[in-house]
Amino acid sequence: MLYESMSFLYYLNPEKYKLRKWREDNHRNSEQIVDVGEELINEHASKLGDDIWIIYEQVMIAALDCSRDDLAWTCLQELKKQFPGSQRVKRLAGMRLEALEKYEDASKQYDSILQDDPTNTAARKRKISILKAQGKSAEAIRELNEYLEQFVGDQEAWHELSELYINEHDYGKAAFCLEELMMTNPHNHLYCEQYAEVKYTQGGLENLELSRKYFAQALKLNNGNMRALFGLYMSASHIAASPKVNATVKKANVKYAAWATNQINRAYQLAGRGTKENKCSVKAVEEMLESMQITMS
Amino acid sequence: MGEVELSCLAYVKMYLHACLFPRCSVNGLLLSSSPAGGAVCVTDCVPLLHTHLPLAPITQLALTQVDVWCAQTQQRIVGYYQANACVSDSSPTPCALKIADKIAEQCNNAVLLMIDGGKMSPDYRVPPIVMYERKDTRWTLKDKHTIMLRQWEETRDIASQLLDSGDHSLLVDFDSHLDDITRDWTNQKLNAKIAELASPANASSIALPPGGGTVSIVTFTWSSSTARGRQQNINSLSINHILLENSPEWRNNG
Repeated sequence: MLYESMSFLYYLNPEKYKLRKWREDNHRNSEQIVDVGEELINEHASKLGDDIWIIYEQVMIAALDCSRDDLAWTCLQELKKQFPGSQRVKRLAGMRLEALEKYEDASKQYDSILQDDPTNTAARKRKISILKAQGKSAEAIRELNEYLEQFVGDQEAWHELSELYINEHDYGKAAFCLEELMMTNPHNHLYCEQYAEVKYTQGGLENLELSRKYFAQALKLNNGNMRALFGLYMSASHIAASPKVNATVKKANVKYAAWATNQINRAYQLAGRGTKENKCSVKAVEEMLESMQITMS
Repeated sequence: MGEVELSCLAYVKMYLHACLFPRCSVNGLLLSSSPAGGAVCVTDCVPLLHTHLPLAPITQLALTQVDVWCAQTQQRIVGYYQANACVSDSSPTPCALKIADKIAEQCNNAVLLMIDGGKMSPDYRVPPIVMYERKDTRWTLKDKHTIMLRQWEETRDIASQLLDSGDHSLLVDFDSHLDDITRDWTNQKLNAKIAELASPANASSIALPPGGGTVSIVTFTWSSSTARGRQQNINSLSINHILLENSPEWRNNG
């Protein structure tokens, strides 16, 4: 008897651990979650103890992402039975309606949550997601701005807003959102690099110099960030090429670009070792850097 | 305008790209290995991005690298494709129009191809694509009868097969390449798999005879008025002569 239950535990742990890891890292690998989770629920529900409820929630959301309404419905029913009247479960029901594109009904569901609890951030964010799904970007942006006035520390919301602005080509406002994120997450190289990309896209000498600085900052935080390395190379090259800069600035930027070229070449040489696969892409980079060097001299 | 032929290889890779990132907008370039003039034969494609399509640096970088690779392999960039994240709207976005415009500057009968996400169900009967061509300065819908996809059913089956077997995860776009530069954005491995699956009749439309490519560096700027691509004079300073160490001066200023 003991041996049997122990072997069950041994089997269960890796799967439970995987699900927990994906939950904590907020991975959107929905197909995998459905695969692992469905089997866990169907075969071993009784052995999961209280963990089963959070697994039902995780699997339900993943199932919605994969158009598995059958599985989502099952999970939802179990959660409704266990937690009648719960706002959290109500929100899940709303998400299911969203997945079925019943946006009006979903919206009503979220409104009823907000009536009982006006500070429920999850419901507010779902309403904004509905606007996004319907392609109503301007409204989504407006609502998200209002939301952020109240909940100024919500990182996820700031990032979502920056993405919405980028899609609307409103680079100035996207930059502002990324500035907020960089202030609260000074060690995150991705925010630095995204900010640099936005500045580069805005164009103009000042923005190019800013973009170069932030690409460099991203590299300092993570010297494996290839986008930042290429970005540094391109921004420095463009500044050096500008007729508006003086000789000192030109010289400095030529230096930065040259340093970046060296690093890029080194990275690609390392990458090219041993694998035949990426010879084509390595060659393309080499030639590109060479041709850019020639026109700069 | 003229006829456009879409090869099995190009279609399958585009389709798989859209399937690999179902929650993102994706884009890529359409290539041709046949000479300019006459019908446009799209023989291959390079998947580019699945994040931040409207941002300039990586797009510029990718365009430059693909351009160089095309010159090396006697191909030309003849078009652009995009699949929007929002399934209900498959119309070209401003960024799609911008990039397509730039391509059209170098290639007369360039095409803009939008993948219609809403029509990509498992048993779709017609290719889920909408093609645009440039008339005067605007992109207009192309007459469906001028678009050719040889062996359509076989092509569709090859795409489904690769999707079912999970081989679509072999596809590398430029974004993925930047995440891990050992991955090959020219997708030689996947190309070989697709060629294997295609029948001998189709193989001829995959490997069209190489034409005379033109070396054209596609330069473009977004809203920048000072960044003029790669032509400029730096008072006879040749980069190769500069000391390439990490000077402390650089560290403080960077």
